[in-house]
Amino acid sequence: MTLSRKTLALAGAAVLVVGAAGIAYAQSAGAVSAALSSGEVGEQADGYLGFRSTPSGELRDEVDAINIKRRDVYTKLATQRGVTVRDVAVTVGCETLQKRVAIGRSYLLTDGVWRTKDEDPIALPDYCVQ
Amino acid sequence: MKQASLPLALAASALLAGCVQIQAPDKPIEINLNVNIKQEVVLTLKKDAEDLVNNNPELFPQ
Repeated sequence: MTLSRKTLALAGAAVLVVGAAGIAYAQSAGAVSAALSSGEVGEQADGYLGFRSTPSGELRDEVDAINIKRRDVYTKLATQRGVTVRDVAVTVGCETLQKRVAIGRSYLLTDGVWRTKDEDPIALPDYCVQ
Repeated sequence: MKQASLPLALAASALLAGCVQIQAPDKPIEINLNVNIKQEVVLTLKKDAEDLVNNNPELFPQ
């Protein structure tokens, strides 16, 4: 039990560090997550996030930043596989539409119409492989 | 020699013609190539796309 004070202090410090990192992460992702929940932002069939309604400048910046990073990783994979960036992007679009759109959230199909996810599966584009 | 070459060529072409078989397809030919090619690409990239999404959670907020 004599060790416990030191151990506790260490554990406390660890919790603080992890907690601070968590808060920083939550703050950067917070606005986008909130906009996804409200349906203002949604996944698109083209593999990027988009706006169902006109966003605030800050939200637009954060979503744009995510889309730029997405394009970077799509480009890397496309180069590795010898396909176009668009091929990778639409494949990711199939994936996100199929698995990552919760009920009540917005999504955009190739017809350019925003819809709200209900309990039925999304009618994926023909080229998506299920 | 010149006269012999014509029947020879005919015989050769007849032999070659026998090698080329043209069969009518059972099903009508689909012209929707665009979608087929896309589907093939999507199929080959599907696993990569899954990994990409799972490995970059910060780019795919929920």
